[in-house]
Amino acid sequence: MKITAPISTPAEVEPLVRAGARELYCGVVPPDWIQRFNTSGVNRRVFGNLNGYADLERVVDKATALDAEVFLVLNAQQYGEQHLDALTEIGARFRSIGGKAAIVADISLIASLAANVPDLDIHVSSVATCRNVESARFFAALGANRIILPRDVTVAEIGTITQALPELDVEAFVLNDGCVFEEGTCHTVHLPMNKGGPICIDNYQFEYRTTERATGGGKPQERALRRLEQNDLDYKRWLWYRFGNGFSVASNGYPWGPCGLCAMPATHAAGVHSVKIAGREGASERKIKSVELVARVLERIQAGEPEHRVREFAVGLRDAPSHCASGYMCYYPEVRSRQTTGDAEGKLLTAV
Amino acid sequence: MTSTPRTPTPESVTRPIELGFALVDERELAAFARHDRLTRDDYLDQLGEARDCVTLPEDAEPTHFFLGSEFCEHLLPSVESVDRAVVLCERWGLTFGLVTPIACDGLFDPLRAALARLPAGSEVTINDWGVARLVQREFPALRPVAGRLLGKMLKDPRLPSATWARMYPNGLRAGPFRDILDGLGIGRLELDFPPFGAADMYAGIDFPIGVRAPYGYIAKGRICKLGSLSLDTPEKFSPGHQCRRECLGFNEVGARPGTHELPTSQRGNTMYYRHAKGMATAVAEAVNNGWVSRIVLSGA
Repeated sequence: MKITAPISTPAEVEPLVRAGARELYCGVVPPDWIQRFNTSGVNRRVFGNLNGYADLERVVDKATALDAEVFLVLNAQQYGEQHLDALTEIGARFRSIGGKAAIVADISLIASLAANVPDLDIHVSSVATCRNVESARFFAALGANRIILPRDVTVAEIGTITQALPELDVEAFVLNDGCVFEEGTCHTVHLPMNKGGPICIDNYQFEYRTTERATGGGKPQERALRRLEQNDLDYKRWLWYRFGNGFSVASNGYPWGPCGLCAMPATHAAGVHSVKIAGREGASERKIKSVELVARVLERIQAGEPEHRVREFAVGLRDAPSHCASGYMCYYPEVRSRQTTGDAEGKLLTAV
Repeated sequence: MTSTPRTPTPESVTRPIELGFALVDERELAAFARHDRLTRDDYLDQLGEARDCVTLPEDAEPTHFFLGSEFCEHLLPSVESVDRAVVLCERWGLTFGLVTPIACDGLFDPLRAALARLPAGSEVTINDWGVARLVQREFPALRPVAGRLLGKMLKDPRLPSATWARMYPNGLRAGPFRDILDGLGIGRLELDFPPFGAADMYAGIDFPIGVRAPYGYIAKGRICKLGSLSLDTPEKFSPGHQCRRECLGFNEVGARPGTHELPTSQRGNTMYYRHAKGMATAVAEAVNNGWVSRIVLSGA
């Protein structure tokens, strides 16, 4: 199992590879792109991209020298037909300088890259929401070599795909950013925070209604409303975890946020080829600490340590196992450690 | 890398327009069963006050009836409900369609069972490429329609202006997109009308187009807050668990304070916006121009 890590500058290559990443992914905004298309949207993120082709070449050279591979994100949910030729040219240029694969969600771009840049591997982005065997076969038939699964899948579901399609690499999330909605079916943009930010943490003021069509819906009965409101409080707490524990780091510098560390023995056993660390837009220190965190767990798995020992180790890495015990910080909560301490600390931290 | 657009099919300019209603809650079939035939008013009545956000052509009368959810694996109707809906559609003289969501592998057997109950010529609204392959391979007598989860477009009701929307064009006219749908035997597209949309946004798409009204969906997750109401960790707010279908009893409505944006709601795992009257007018204009050949009414 390999570690796939995000980069946004050439300077991040060496520390991330030294920390344990064998695969790096990055985006680039070519200098003429904004002028041609009046948008910086070459990929899913406006920020966190390399400055141009010169930086991209530096990244590939440095990574190759360190025996790591580089993947280019071209993973907008959809592109206009006017973009396809330009994006295919970017893919071809990336391949010509030694890039390994493009991470793509749009089916037209996958088809175009497969037809026109056949020696560039295609990794189906999590944005494509591919999470069943037949869908994976569909993308493989289009030319995909790897499926990056969406965030919210179970380890059992992962295993079903890896067993059915051993010829296809499967990549699964292990750390950091946590969308609430599925990326492939969230048709919004992350607005600047002063305009609302991501819609899933925007300041919508909702009230509950019953759904009788004849009456247009009324207020739920008091007992039901109390349960709904308690559920809202729990959800708010889960959201806090989903967004990096209030965008914080542990006292030892390791990042908080959605995490699959203690599930790594299970994902390894399920046949996952690579574990993905999200967060191209994050600070370099956060990326390096993330890779260190994952690498420490991976070392134990590769050394053949028993699963329960690896899980205990993973839970103890950030010196606050109560967050793990909350069950709300997990990508794969069904396999989280049940041997962690109580939840009091987590409740206290998220009470405000 | 792009191929030549096709001449519009005769179906795409057929008049009068096709009119469908999409029902998610299979329990409500009982109420529909009281009707010997269905009229446009029967459909519009289902929308409550939101019927004012729909503009239908004078001659629009029901032609289709759909059952199932685009958004949730737990809302696939039982085979008994599918059977009941098929019989009702035969009585009403309407084409039946089964609506299907993005699927995990565990849903494929229930899906097969439901699809096996459909008479030849029934439609299947597909929102997952794997389900498209299943239908093509195992149920070739059915007519697959690409659902609105496959027709990607920006639909953020918070966008400050139309300029923002133009920065994220859709790929519905791209040659490879068309070729892939053709290859899967998909002959029709169902889409939303987005905030800052215009009637001509449907022009030049090489498939007959249906538009959902009067609600568009903004975002859909697999984690469901409401579906976690009766759960505790580790199932709560996680994928792959059962739920009690709480979304069929409750939804949330509201807005961002201080804005005059489209009315917004959340039902289960999905956020919706409701069409403003101007949007209904634009959809009607698209119908009049032959760019849209079907309206599918559905709630939020």
